[in-house]
Amino acid sequence: MSESLSMMAATMAWPLAIAVAWLAGEFGYRWLSLPRISSYGIAGFFMAASQGGFLAVPSGSTIPLLADFAFSLMLFELGFRINLRWLRADPWLGVTSVAEAGTTFAAVFVLAQWFGVPMIPSLLLAALAMSTSPAAVVRVVNELKSSGQVTERLLHLSAFNCVLAVVVFKMVTGYWILSSAGSLFHAAWNSLMVVAVSAGIGVLFGVAVPMLLRVCGAVGGNATVAFAIAVLLLTALTLGFSFSPLLAALVFGLVARHRRVIFSQAQNNFGALGDLLTVLLFVFVAASVEWKQVVDGAALALAVLGVRLAAKTLSTTLFARLSGITWRKGMLTGLAMTPMSVLVILLLEHSRHIDLGNFEQVAGIAAIVIILEVAGPVLTRLALMWAGEARR
Amino acid sequence: MPLEPFKASRSLTMGVELELQLVNPADFDLTASAPDLLHLLSLRKFPGDVKPEMTESMIEVLTDVHTRHDELLAQLRDIRAVMVSAGDRLNISICGGGTHPFQHWVEQHIFSGPRFEQLSQLYGYLAKQFTVFGQHVHIGCASADEALYLLHALNRYVPHFIALSASSPFLQGVDTLFDSSRLNSVFAFPLSGRAPFLLDWSEFEHGYFAKMENTGVVKSMKDFYWDIRPKPEFGTIELRVCDTPLTIERAAALAAYLQALCRMLLERRMPPPAEDDYLVYNYNRFQACRFGFEGVIVHPQTNENLSLREDLLTTLRQLEPHAEALHGLPALAELHRAVAYEGNHAGLLRRQFADEGGVEGMVDAAVRLFRDGVPS
Repeated sequence: MSESLSMMAATMAWPLAIAVAWLAGEFGYRWLSLPRISSYGIAGFFMAASQGGFLAVPSGSTIPLLADFAFSLMLFELGFRINLRWLRADPWLGVTSVAEAGTTFAAVFVLAQWFGVPMIPSLLLAALAMSTSPAAVVRVVNELKSSGQVTERLLHLSAFNCVLAVVVFKMVTGYWILSSAGSLFHAAWNSLMVVAVSAGIGVLFGVAVPMLLRVCGAVGGNATVAFAIAVLLLTALTLGFSFSPLLAALVFGLVARHRRVIFSQAQNNFGALGDLLTVLLFVFVAASVEWKQVVDGAALALAVLGVRLAAKTLSTTLFARLSGITWRKGMLTGLAMTPMSVLVILLLEHSRHIDLGNFEQVAGIAAIVIILEVAGPVLTRLALMWAGEARR
Repeated sequence: MPLEPFKASRSLTMGVELELQLVNPADFDLTASAPDLLHLLSLRKFPGDVKPEMTESMIEVLTDVHTRHDELLAQLRDIRAVMVSAGDRLNISICGGGTHPFQHWVEQHIFSGPRFEQLSQLYGYLAKQFTVFGQHVHIGCASADEALYLLHALNRYVPHFIALSASSPFLQGVDTLFDSSRLNSVFAFPLSGRAPFLLDWSEFEHGYFAKMENTGVVKSMKDFYWDIRPKPEFGTIELRVCDTPLTIERAAALAAYLQALCRMLLERRMPPPAEDDYLVYNYNRFQACRFGFEGVIVHPQTNENLSLREDLLTTLRQLEPHAEALHGLPALAELHRAVAYEGNHAGLLRRQFADEGGVEGMVDAAVRLFRDGVPS
C-alpha cells in the first residue's frame, strides 16, 4: 500500500510542480510584473528535493529530454529570426558580437584565476559566461511583443554568442579529455566533430523539412506541428549520439528560414505546447540547483556577473554609434543580454558523460544559475521597456 | 484658429508623399522600428524629408517641389536608395502597398507624440486600424479659387487614381476581394469623403470652415480626411486616394498623370464641375476600389456607363499633348502598360499569393519590388 502511494507521489511530482510553477508565474506577472519565467524558476528551486521539496533529482528520467526539447524549440525559433545578411549590411554588428563575447571570456577567465579557480574550470566558466541564454531572451521578447533595434540586436547577438560559447566549451572539454586521458582521438572528436556534425544535422533538417512540407502542401497553420515534431526528432537524435542539440536546433531554424518556408507570427513560442514546455524547462533548470552550492559560490558568482555585465554592456555601447543606433540603445542591448541559466544547465547536463571533476562546485555555477534565473529575465524585460520597444 | 491664407504657388508644380511599411525580414510582419530608422536617417542629409506616422511601423517620405516627372523620379530614386541602405543596416525591410496583408491592428504601437496620442484617444481602435499606407500628391495652384476649381473638376477622375494605384487586396490575412481595401479603412473616419461643393475661397473660408470650427469638431484642415483637400500653407491641392504603389516608378507616374490632368482641366474646355457630379461619386469610387480596372463607372454628366479601363485609355490618349508639354510622356507610357496589359499592383500581389502560397510571400515580393523597381 505504502509502495503504491509513493509510486503515486513520484508520478504526481512533476505534473504538480508544473501546476504550482505556472500559478506562480501568473501571479508574479499580475502582481509584481515579474516575467513569468522568473517565477517558474523561483518555484522550481523551492520545490526541489535538495531544498527539502518534493521534486526528486530528475537526471535519468524523461524530464531532461523534455527540457531539452523545450529549449530546442526556442533555439529553432531564434534561428528562424536570424538574418545572416545583416552581418554584411552592418559589419559593426559582427564586430560587436566578437568584442562582447571575447571581452567577456577574457575578463571572466582572469577573474576566475584571481579567485584561485584552477585552469580548466576557469576556461569552462569563461566559455559559459560568453553566452546569453536564448530561452529567457525569446520568452521575454515574445511576452512583451517588443520590436526595435535592442530586440533585434539582442536576438542576433544571443544566437552568435551561444554558438561561440558551445564551440569554446566543447574545445575546452576536448582539451581536458586530452590532458587527462591522453586520447587525442577522443579530444578531437569532442570538439570539432561534435560541432560540425551537430550543425550538419541542423542543415539536413533545415533543407529536408521545408521540402517535405512543400511536397505535402502543408505550408501555413500545420507547419507548427510539423516543425515541433522535427525538433523533437532532432533533439532525441543529437542527444542519443552525444552531439549538441543546441547547435543543431539553432542551425535548423536558420536554414529553414533561408529556405523561405514561412513560420508565421501566430505560431510564436509554438503556441500552447511551447508555453507548457517552458514551465517544465525553467522548473527543471532551477530544480537542479542546490542551496548549499549557491551559498558556497555566491562571492565568485556575484563577481563573475558584475564583470560579465560590464564587459557586455561596454562592448555593445562602444560600437553603438558605428552600428547606427544611439549610445542608450547600445547600452540597453548589453543589459538585456544578461540571462544565461538555461544554456548553462543544459550544456552541463549534456556533458555528464565527461568527467569534469568538481567544476560546478569550484566555479560558482549554482549561484550564477539561480541568480540569473530570476534576475536575468527581469533585466531583459527592463531593458526592452526602457528602450521603448515593448508594446504599449 | 482661423484658416490660414492660401499661399499661392506655381501652377502645376508637384510633390509626393509616400507612407511606407516597415517590415521584419524574419516573419514579414510589420515591425515598430520607425524611431530607430528616423534616428539613423537623422545622422546624414536626406534627399527630401522623412517623418513619423501614426504607428511606429509606418514612415513617411516627402519629395521637394518638382515641375518635371523625370526630376521627381530621380529624387524618389535617391530617397529609395537612402531608405533601403538604412533599412539594411538596421535589419528592417521597407516596402510599398496600401495595406500590410496580415498585420494585426491590435499589435501596432502608436508613435509617441501629443498629436498621435490625442488622435489615438479620440479614435480608439480606428487609430490603430489606420495602419494603412497611402500616396499623397500635391499640385501647386496659382490661387485659392484655382485650387477649389481643380479640386472639384477632378471629382470624375478620382476612380482613375484609385484603380491605378490599388495595392491593398488583403487585410488582416484575408482577400477582401477589393483592389483597394485601404480606402474602406479611411472611410470609417467621420470627416472623410468629399469636400463640400464650394468654388469660391472666401465662401469656403467663412461659409464653411469657420462654421465647422465653431462647432468645435475641427481645429485645422488636418482634421479633414477628404479624398482631395486644399492645403493653404503649401498653396496646393492634395490628392489622397492613392494606395502607396509597390514601386516608386508607379508613384512618380501617378503624380505626372495628375499634373497632366490638371493642365488639361485648367484649359477649362470641359463643362465646369457641379454639385450633381457627386451623385455618382461614391458609387464610382466603390467600383474602382472593388474591381480596379474592371470597374464600371457612371459618367457624372452624361450618366452613361463606362468601363473604367476604357475610360482610362481614352483619358491617357487625351493627355498626351499635355504630358508632352510637361515632359511626362514616359509616365503615361508606364500607366498605359499597366492599364492595357499588366494590370495594377493589387493583381500582381494576388498572383504572388497564388504562386508563393501565402500572405508572407506577398510581402516578400513587395519588399523586392520596392528595392529593385519595375522588373521590366
